[in-house]
Amino acid sequence: MLFNSLEFLLFLPTVYILYWFVFKKNLRVQNILIIAASYLFYGWWDWRFLILIFFSTVLDFYVGQQIFKNLNTKKKARYWLWISVACNVGLLGFFKYYNFFVDSFIGMFSSMGYTIKSVWTLRIILPVGISFYTFQTMSYSFDIYYKKLEPTRNFVSFAAFVSFFPQLVAGPIERASNLLSQINSKRIFEYEQARSGIKLILWGFFKKLVIADSLAPIVDDIFANYASYPASTLILGVSLFSFQVYGDFSGYTDIAIGTAKLFGIELMSNFKFPNFARNIAEYWQRWHVSLSTWFRHYLYIPMGGSRVSKLKSIRNIIVIFLVSGLWHGANWTFVFWGGVHALLYIPVFLMGRNRIYADNVIAEKTWYPTITEILQVLLTFALVTFSRIFFRSPSLSDAFDYINHIANDFSYGAYVHPMGYRMFDFYVLLAIFTLYEYVIRKDERNPFKFRSPIVRFFLYTLVVLSILLFYDDGVNRSFIYFQF
Amino acid sequence: MKKFILKTILYIFLILLLLEVIVRVFHLYTEDPPRFIDEYGVEKRVPNNNGYAVTGNRNQNFSEFDINNSGFNSFREFNPTLEKYEVALIGDSFIEGFHQDYNESTGKKIEDKVKGIEVYEYGYAGYDLANQLHLINAYKDDFQLIDQIIIYLNYKNDLGRGIYKPNYGRIKMLSSTLFKIRDNIKLLAYGSKIGILEPLKKLAQGGNAFDDTEQGYHTNEMVDAKKDQEEDKKRIENFKSLIDLYGFDKNKTTLLLDSRKTSADFLNFCTKNNIKYLDFSPRFKNSEKPTTLIYDHHWNAHGRALIADEIGTYINSIKGK
Repeated sequence: MLFNSLEFLLFLPTVYILYWFVFKKNLRVQNILIIAASYLFYGWWDWRFLILIFFSTVLDFYVGQQIFKNLNTKKKARYWLWISVACNVGLLGFFKYYNFFVDSFIGMFSSMGYTIKSVWTLRIILPVGISFYTFQTMSYSFDIYYKKLEPTRNFVSFAAFVSFFPQLVAGPIERASNLLSQINSKRIFEYEQARSGIKLILWGFFKKLVIADSLAPIVDDIFANYASYPASTLILGVSLFSFQVYGDFSGYTDIAIGTAKLFGIELMSNFKFPNFARNIAEYWQRWHVSLSTWFRHYLYIPMGGSRVSKLKSIRNIIVIFLVSGLWHGANWTFVFWGGVHALLYIPVFLMGRNRIYADNVIAEKTWYPTITEILQVLLTFALVTFSRIFFRSPSLSDAFDYINHIANDFSYGAYVHPMGYRMFDFYVLLAIFTLYEYVIRKDERNPFKFRSPIVRFFLYTLVVLSILLFYDDGVNRSFIYFQF
Repeated sequence: MKKFILKTILYIFLILLLLEVIVRVFHLYTEDPPRFIDEYGVEKRVPNNNGYAVTGNRNQNFSEFDINNSGFNSFREFNPTLEKYEVALIGDSFIEGFHQDYNESTGKKIEDKVKGIEVYEYGYAGYDLANQLHLINAYKDDFQLIDQIIIYLNYKNDLGRGIYKPNYGRIKMLSSTLFKIRDNIKLLAYGSKIGILEPLKKLAQGGNAFDDTEQGYHTNEMVDAKKDQEEDKKRIENFKSLIDLYGFDKNKTTLLLDSRKTSADFLNFCTKNNIKYLDFSPRFKNSEKPTTLIYDHHWNAHGRALIADEIGTYINSIKGK
């Protein structure tokens, strides 16, 4: 089920009414409702894959208890942890990476002159959101192993934690310490929380329907026909893709966080205005935070993080980014994309500038940014946008061709929208969007933080009006990150 | 909780109200003049209506229409006489021309090209050849006085039936309370035009509003040549049936068509049976400028000028004879 669909429009109020009016008094029944609603939400796409979520739930519920039981004998606890990792990564490996590895293996042999018939590849459907919920359940086992958490004995709560529908298919990838503890406690309706949830949902829809969906046909057209476009158009295409993917994914996250708030649950922030990052390190503290912190906590730090020699730290950084790239998709383009980010991150790390912007935003205490800040933001945006050529291209050769066209045939040509729409409208839209995000840059969870109720009301109306003005009936409305 | 629900409902109501005002002020909605079926069974617009037709979410095409006394969008009234030289231009939405100002229509452009004639545009969105031939037959008194008849034929769409039956059901549906509400609440009319209400419409029509497989999993079907041939046969049969039923004055009736979108069998049939046709495809093919609107598949000003040029040259060639 998509957030931006009629079925969700009917589903959400129904679940909401049952949750707060019918099952309000019984926490256990409320959690059962969450599970039922979440399974319905997911099963709407393909009910057969519910079994994978259920399997992952049962596995980590049991493994969590076994790890806890054996914490005194570290070896046994580690054994159980490895069972969780092997099973979850095994699921991912089969459904997401099996064909990728087989094809890569065959490709490697054929490049050495051996021909292997591709009889091993299978027609596998990639279950939506598998990378998200497997990582979430694994984090539960990790947290118990690292003694940050005690396992729950309540299977219903745990199942609700794993399947909680607002963040089931595209995150944020929650930690049990945050989400499970809320699911285990009685929820009380709070007016302010619900109000802020509705606002986030509205803002998320704006980002998805207006920014991402209206740019999608342009980006698709440019990437599909890059060979016939001048360099200026190719730069435009990948720059617009930067906005598209941000609007799409952060829009989803805002709707997810907003929806969770309606049910009295606070999810972690996933995007903190990454387009205003002043270097790559800050970018990763602001983009897909739940994933980057996941890798930081469960991979980078256990490998030694930055507390080892410089050389080993660099190795750790490279590993993290390559794995993060592979997490995004079973294609060498994503691995390469991760590699590019590692190369961009290492100099910042070596200069010791990787944490300097961790606790502040651009123009922290002033209205306007300094010239240096503007240049830093533009450079970071340009580098991140460049890396997205790999992220968006269907293959590595396409990505290099795309770059080749820009580098070797630098020319300008006015771009005409595939549907004939005036491009000026989109440039104005993006300029207003960027300026508005700059204004609200200090609080990603409150996009309409203005004192005057009249200003707020006009902003709400303007947001709905923009959705109407830029609504495109012919666009595929699925979210980009669903494929991961 | 109560406060939250009530405030949410109030905000939604106020936002919708303000949007209704904005949509009206900026005329984002399109107007669709009422339709009816007259005593001759001809489906057309209610006479003497004017307004604006809008295409696109952001007013990308904005044009004025004016429905005359005869119930068609035209810059002039239809009063055929023996003394004057009249040309009837009959067709669907391309001839009705809601995507252009009514005083810049194809008919007006033809009149500018050929002096001393009057062009009567019998255009109506959704007309097929059955509608068109029935109209000529129903208004035969007028058409006997008209000197030339040009019928715009969209080959693949217009030959789907061999007999005309007035669609009273559609007219009844369009004048139902639901449609009246839609037409009076401009925000709804606007939402309906841009397609945002499509899932709701499907749901209301009893279809599966949730089924997006059609959008998501389209496959390219192989063109079945045999099926095409059969369809061609069916279309030619329908054509024969229609001209048998409603008549077809070969001396003064000419089809206006695009040979790129018309089957060779049909063109051969016309040639064999002395049915004249004007093929505007060479002009469109050789045009350096686009001939259709960018937001819409209808002819733009240049496309209309080419059509007027084609018809004007033809009328000039036969007028003196």
